[in-house]
Amino acid sequence: MLAGNQISESVCPRTATSRLGFLRSFVLWAVAAALWFPARATAQETPYFVAYSHHLEEPGNLEIETYSIYGTQKGGGDFIAPWMELEYGVTAWWTTEFYIDSQHTFADSSVFTGTRWENRFRPLVHEHWINPVLYVEFENTTDADKTLKEVVGFDSQFDAAELNSEANRAHTHELETKLILSSDFKGWNFSENFIGEKNLGHEPWEFGYALGADRPLRLAATPRPCNFCRENIILGAEMYGGLGTVEAFTLSGTSHYVAPLVAWQLPNGVTLSLSPGFGLNDHAHRFLLRWGMSYEIGGFGRKLRSLFQ
Amino acid sequence: MRRAMILASFFAASIAAAASSAHNHKTDDRGVWLQIARAPIKMRSAKNPYEGQQDAVAAGKKLFRQHCAECHGDDATGAHGPNLRSPGVQNATPGELAWFLRNGNLVRGMPPWAGIPDERRWQIVTYLKSLGVAANSDASKARTPTGREPAE
Repeated sequence: MLAGNQISESVCPRTATSRLGFLRSFVLWAVAAALWFPARATAQETPYFVAYSHHLEEPGNLEIETYSIYGTQKGGGDFIAPWMELEYGVTAWWTTEFYIDSQHTFADSSVFTGTRWENRFRPLVHEHWINPVLYVEFENTTDADKTLKEVVGFDSQFDAAELNSEANRAHTHELETKLILSSDFKGWNFSENFIGEKNLGHEPWEFGYALGADRPLRLAATPRPCNFCRENIILGAEMYGGLGTVEAFTLSGTSHYVAPLVAWQLPNGVTLSLSPGFGLNDHAHRFLLRWGMSYEIGGFGRKLRSLFQ
Repeated sequence: MRRAMILASFFAASIAAAASSAHNHKTDDRGVWLQIARAPIKMRSAKNPYEGQQDAVAAGKKLFRQHCAECHGDDATGAHGPNLRSPGVQNATPGELAWFLRNGNLVRGMPPWAGIPDERRWQIVTYLKSLGVAANSDASKARTPTGREPAE
């Protein structure tokens, strides 16, 4: 147990092999699920990469998502960090999600960087001007994780300059909480997330924020099915960054990003998204590029249940 | 590695628990009635901006197939969810239906569709109202949830 979690891939190739095997079988299972349960369903979730809105996964639907981030790195090799998500609507008010993270650093190596289990809960039954959602996630990752799914505390690009062989030794267990506030107005979605993250190894709470806004290019649908039409294109932007720690709650010394985004929601349940991100100060990576694809399987839970009846 | 497996197991257990409990209400449309009855007065009388427009019916049908047919069936008679061609639903006003689409019924498994623009929700309502009451619907529900006589 200890060896599996604390020794890097370079030190213990057998562990690396088993992790890669787990990742490979996870991907194969996800592809098999998509082929086994083909059913169109179009998500209404906003296509943010970092921020969250109050729109949860529809109950019984499974969304298989694969994303990647490319980042420039000062003092080290640029990197690509792919991750995969399985998102399931347990009920209309509870969405659960499982992540597998990895990364490749140019002129260094490729490593599996951990897993995360996320849950989002909607406490209010009706829509309001501002809709809260409570978010809680357990992260089981290493310091080599470069997915940048959130920026908290004094996170800086220099944290990512460490060699994979060193960074992957430092295993972290973190509890991440978010208060998600979100509103829909005339086709726009506005989301504000306040993030609190606690390293369970006696580190102080770290804070961060994420803001997002998006809107489809055309609000009403056209009468005929179409792929290349404005109603399927969503434009938006995100802004996110750190807010220091419980001991020093500040903007000073923290990193901040702004990232426009575009998403193309196909009627067959596939969504493609792209977002270039720009660091706003020297603590941030100068340039990030995120891209991803998701596929929604409608009624997955019901179909799964029917296999055992 | 073992922790990764434990986390994956928790996730799978969530799905299994949900799969065993989800959609217990199936074709029971009382939840729809009860929720529609909670629509605020202002929304009950809200006018559908697309009323009677054939393009909106076609667009609503397209949206219905994308978002709703998985539970309610391609003909809206309720494959795994409530029958939307029952008198209880068809006799609701367009405003009540639009409000219900926006808010859903979290307790009974209907997700809120506030994430799609108002225009598209009205198009879905236009399509639903164009369907009329299905011939096999229970005639005893021929009153609206708010006690009004069915619209002619």
